[in-house]
Amino acid sequence: MYKLLLIGKYLRRKLAPMFAALAVMLCTAMVMIVISVMGGFLTMMRASAQTLTGQITVYSDLTGFEGYKKLSELLLEHPDIEAATPLIRSYGLIKLHDVTKTVEVIGIEPATFTQVTGYRESLYWSKDDYLQMLDKMSPPLDERTPEIQKGIDRWKKSYDQMDLVEAGMTFQIPKPWSVGAIEYGCVMGIEVNPWNVRTDTGRYGIQNAGLGLPITLTVLPLAQSGSLQTLSPSVRKFAVVNEFKSGLYDVDANRVCVPFAVLQEMLDMHPKQVWETFDPQTGEPAGDPTIMPARISELMIQGRDGVALDQLKDDVQTIVNAFIASHRQQSPLWVQTWEERHATLLGAVEKEKGLLTVLFAIISVVAIVMIAVIFYMIVQDKTRDIGTLRAIGASRSGVASIFLGYGLAIGIVGSALGFALAASIVLNLNEIQDILFKLFGFKMWDPSVYYFERIPSQLDPKEVTIILLASVFSSLVGSVVPAWRASRQDPVEALRYE
Amino acid sequence: MSKQSTLLSAHDLHKHYHMGGEDLHILRGVDLTVKRNEWLAIIGSSGSGKSTLLHLLGGLDRPSQGQVYFDGDVVDMKRNSALDRYRNRDVGFVFQFYHLLPELTTLENVMLSRMVNSGVLGWLSVRAQVKERATQLLEQMGLSHRLKHRPNKLSGGERQRVAIARALLNEPPLLLADEPTGNLDADTGGQILELLQELHAGGQTIVMVTHDPKIAAAADRQLILERGRLQ
Ligand SMILES: Nc1ncnc2c1ncn2[C@@H]1O[C@H](COP(=O)(O)OP(=O)(O)OP(=O)(O)O)[C@@H](O)[C@H]1O
Ligand SMILES: [Mg+2]
Repeated sequence: MYKLLLIGKYLRRKLAPMFAALAVMLCTAMVMIVISVMGGFLTMMRASAQTLTGQITVYSDLTGFEGYKKLSELLLEHPDIEAATPLIRSYGLIKLHDVTKTVEVIGIEPATFTQVTGYRESLYWSKDDYLQMLDKMSPPLDERTPEIQKGIDRWKKSYDQMDLVEAGMTFQIPKPWSVGAIEYGCVMGIEVNPWNVRTDTGRYGIQNAGLGLPITLTVLPLAQSGSLQTLSPSVRKFAVVNEFKSGLYDVDANRVCVPFAVLQEMLDMHPKQVWETFDPQTGEPAGDPTIMPARISELMIQGRDGVALDQLKDDVQTIVNAFIASHRQQSPLWVQTWEERHATLLGAVEKEKGLLTVLFAIISVVAIVMIAVIFYMIVQDKTRDIGTLRAIGASRSGVASIFLGYGLAIGIVGSALGFALAASIVLNLNEIQDILFKLFGFKMWDPSVYYFERIPSQLDPKEVTIILLASVFSSLVGSVVPAWRASRQDPVEALRYE
Repeated sequence: MSKQSTLLSAHDLHKHYHMGGEDLHILRGVDLTVKRNEWLAIIGSSGSGKSTLLHLLGGLDRPSQGQVYFDGDVVDMKRNSALDRYRNRDVGFVFQFYHLLPELTTLENVMLSRMVNSGVLGWLSVRAQVKERATQLLEQMGLSHRLKHRPNKLSGGERQRVAIARALLNEPPLLLADEPTGNLDADTGGQILELLQELHAGGQTIVMVTHDPKIAAAADRQLILERGRLQ
């Protein structure tokens, strides 16, 4: 009983335990904040990686595979599969203004693509962006002449008619834009357009957006054999109707989405008739044509809610195997989950998180040492008391348990405070950053450098619990040596101690 | 047991200290018998080993050789738990420098002697009772107005009385006092001496160490520790 009393008294009396608790608190908070931010980062990366990737992808090589309609039907018959979308993936050159760059071109059917991916949500510009830009550019009310006001109203009206998300979903070029004879729209990654720059809010400014910009896309069609089929590349003009932001910089800086059918045709993967015999006189094709079936590069699949990814993959694999067997499929087909597709990226961040956590845990050993030192001082300070306690009949283990209990108490107090500190920092990380920015003009997380607008973070209850237990345990470990010393203290020496 | 029976005895107690390869033979065969209700004073010059002897008698230290008997039984110097128990129940220590815990109040310091031998539940069941006894003891020492004070607010004489109350809380048959007046002026020392006389009159067995013959004169019997032996 005296142990509890003394622990309580010692905790309240001295400065030393406050420092010990402070050390525990800071280490706990530090590890927690690091884990939370890294965890948040990882979650965000995962979300971004998932944005434009279906849960499961069935893909072949650049030359594509046939019979995808059949495969898609087969897949959709499975009760766990909700949606599937065909996709064509190739590489090409785009020219916008006078800039030419290489890009990854994908041909999508937006209607189904958005069922399988977060395509619609990734479209960056909306009508509101335009209206806001107009507001910013318009002169203040008191400077507006009726003439100017009329102009503004006219603009507003035309913007009002224009739904940019809709344009992105249909590749239809909105009415108010006049881009000559260009028929189709395309949607570029937000970083493809070199003039797109983030303002210090982390948003992109619409003034420089590539919207309405005509771009020239060049792709090289491949024969089914994989050789360059024709030496003439396929070239078309598109107008940028929207831009997307998936959150993965590499994707957003290199990808252009165009209508599925258009890209299929450009790559010569569309269904066509081929004649093998020709009339020797006229050179006209003769006889019955062979039908060359359409090809795609990938089929993206979305499972129903709650279906485990691995299960889904196995199911898809089974269906694909059956499909290969019955269709004399030439090129091999691979089945991959979105996690596997982004394994290198996600794996790196995951490893980084683990590494940082270990590093900070090592730093936290400092806390253990500090507690040991502080406790050693406390034991030193209490030498006479230890002698007194022994003289009135306290046992060695009793004396040891005072200091162990003391360590435990400091661990609990320190880690609880550390949790409170970490939680208040993590939950208000962005607000804290805003305040720092206002006060000192300093940004921890510069959204124009980092790809996310806000600092990501998440407090995972499991991780928090482990950290709390670990720091309480560490405090206990830190108090073992001093407690042992206290219990070994010769009472006679201790009483003599001045 | 008769009033004149032996409460404490020591046989052939030796104590060596080893310091830097040198063997200090402090106690060289001390024999001692203390009767129940007796007040014994041990006198000796500084460094003669008085405190050492008292520590051996009270189970705070182990003799290099020899035995201590308490109430007819040998005190088992080998088992820690037996010694802890002996110190807690059978003897009460009073020191020259009081040795009160600075974080605790007067009352808590006194109650501590009972606290160390009970667990949480055990303590809760006896707490009220112990508190009453502690209060009563402190009243007896004239400290009823000082219950909630911390030791650093008390005078030396008051502190020593708190220490005596603490030593007596568990009603130990034997009170061991190591220069209880050593740190006090003559007047205050006199008060403490009166208190001991009172306790002795009430039947308390006391072994007191002092180097002041005037103080020792108050005891029933005086022994002198010289060259490691009692004369
Ligand atoms: N741990 C130890 N190691 C070495 N020598 C010791 C130790 N403890 C005590 N001594 C020596 O033993 C002798 C007796 O010490 P003790 O404290 O018993 O004397 P004392 O009679 O109580 O003296 P005082 O009147 O000053 O209190 C002293 O010379 C002291 O230096
Ligand atoms: Mg002494």
